[in-house]
Amino acid sequence: MPRIRLRYYALLREQAGRQEETVETAARTPAALYQELILRHGFRLPQAQLKVAVNAAFTDWTYALADGDEVVFIPPVAGG
Amino acid sequence: MNGFEFTHRPIDAAALTGSLADPAAGGFAAFEGWVRDHNDGRRVARLEYEAFEELALREGRRIVAEAIRRHGARRAHCVHRLGALEVGELAVWVGVASAHRAEAFAACRQIIDEIKHLVPIWKKEHFDDGDSGWVNCAHCAEAAQAPGFDYSRQIALPEIGAAGQRRLAESAVVVVGAGGLGCAVLAGLAGAGVGTLVIVDHDVVEPANLHRQPLYSTNDIGRPKAGAAASRLAAYNPTIQLRPLPVRLTPANAAGLVAQGDVVVDCSDNFATKFLVNDAAVLAGRPAVLASVYQYEGQLQVVRPDADGSCLRCQWPEATRDGLVGNCAESGVIGPVPAVLGNLQAMEVLKLLLGLPGQLRNELLLVDLLDLSQRRLQAPRAPECKGRCARIAELAAPVPAGTLEVSVSLAEAALQGYRIIDIREPDECLALPMPLPGHEAIPLGQLLDGATRLDPGLRYLLVCSSGRRSLAAAELLRADDQGNVWSLRGGLTVTMRTQNAK
Ligand SMILES: [Zn+2]
Repeated sequence: MPRIRLRYYALLREQAGRQEETVETAARTPAALYQELILRHGFRLPQAQLKVAVNAAFTDWTYALADGDEVVFIPPVAGG
Repeated sequence: MNGFEFTHRPIDAAALTGSLADPAAGGFAAFEGWVRDHNDGRRVARLEYEAFEELALREGRRIVAEAIRRHGARRAHCVHRLGALEVGELAVWVGVASAHRAEAFAACRQIIDEIKHLVPIWKKEHFDDGDSGWVNCAHCAEAAQAPGFDYSRQIALPEIGAAGQRRLAESAVVVVGAGGLGCAVLAGLAGAGVGTLVIVDHDVVEPANLHRQPLYSTNDIGRPKAGAAASRLAAYNPTIQLRPLPVRLTPANAAGLVAQGDVVVDCSDNFATKFLVNDAAVLAGRPAVLASVYQYEGQLQVVRPDADGSCLRCQWPEATRDGLVGNCAESGVIGPVPAVLGNLQAMEVLKLLLGLPGQLRNELLLVDLLDLSQRRLQAPRAPECKGRCARIAELAAPVPAGTLEVSVSLAEAALQGYRIIDIREPDECLALPMPLPGHEAIPLGQLLDGATRLDPGLRYLLVCSSGRRSLAAAELLRADDQGNVWSLRGGLTVTMRTQNAK
């Protein structure tokens, strides 16, 4: 199974209890991967409130994930 | 006569003194500012004064009223001349009458100092050699008299030099929000000598701000942040001009406020304002430097409509509703985090104003101050960028919050036919159970994921602990055409308190 590196920010970091991890996953898209992570970490933010970046570029949720990709889910942040 | 006014005719000092006559006054002090025949070693032939009158009048009156209040003076008045003046003419007059001389001197001094620093007045000098030029008054009046402020270390940078320093002095920057980010941005730009800083913030200083907002002291508690920040910065660097605007940024005033600067900096703490700054900047074609913090992390983005760059909406087409993710009050914040992000913003502003290399554009910078990592994500411009931002008009008419919130007890709500939904997370529900049976428990994420459809024939009341998340959820559900949704104002906290009080 493809190995994906994950990096968490803000609310997601808090809920996952970690800043990064590497997962083996059958998920083919960031959308499917996020659904897996909801089950694994109990993420509460709906996908519609997030953006996703793969290999340091914003992409859409149907991007075809490949072994070794780095995925960052970015929650909106407003503190000032 | 108490107040501040402009005049295009010669000032009659004797008549003004007479107008302040007061039988209870035992002292009177006046200051007169005259047009002198030299500046910066050049012979001056004559002068012209110009003001941003509407704003200047408001600011001038505030300054005079504040000086009367602070020093307990009886009466005070200030007149500033506008238009063309010859050498030797009276340009500005300040008079104060008070019970004793000390208050009269102190109030008079405060009024003239603050008028020089804070009121938008410009002076055009016509030199003997035929040359002329506009200068910001705070600048020309004080620069020579502020030997303590010296930009030489910054001018020594080869990319800046004297020309760069002049460019900064001629620049204006609008800073929206004078909180944790704003304090750092304002201090950085004031120190660098940015000529005019417009400070937009409608909040007052609160005790819980001080640990991360070092422009304020405990003496400022309760004072509007815009004014408190301007006073502090005027004392820090008397060579710049400050324009405090204690107003909320709204769709109605955003375009006008953004137009006052070469760059706008978003230091606000809510999504509504961030999107408003973004949209106004894109529509005006001006750069905007945005940042946000969350606990130990921050995000930085530079919006460049002037250089075909991307904006906030290129990645987040829909404005995020406030209340879905925590703010500083709910999630916590530690001073150095907004200070670091604010200083990054100040640096990006200076890079823009000075044309320095390495400007952030079409990227989102993520900074984590726990593991000291940084990530730059490519965030390209969406083809429909400008069309999206044209929604500024749409923002002008959000669903009025009043119609989305109801204040009832849960028992009354049930009687009135509301279906009550507890949108809190399971652990919160366990910690503080709903005081009434017969409700549904659907956590926020599940309610908004689209899988749960509400019955259009029913009325729903969403409940969370504070009323913030439930209001955000109600707005989103309404926007998604799931119409009959209300939010319990104040949430469970207020409901339980009211109940216990009975
Ligand atoms: Zn855009």
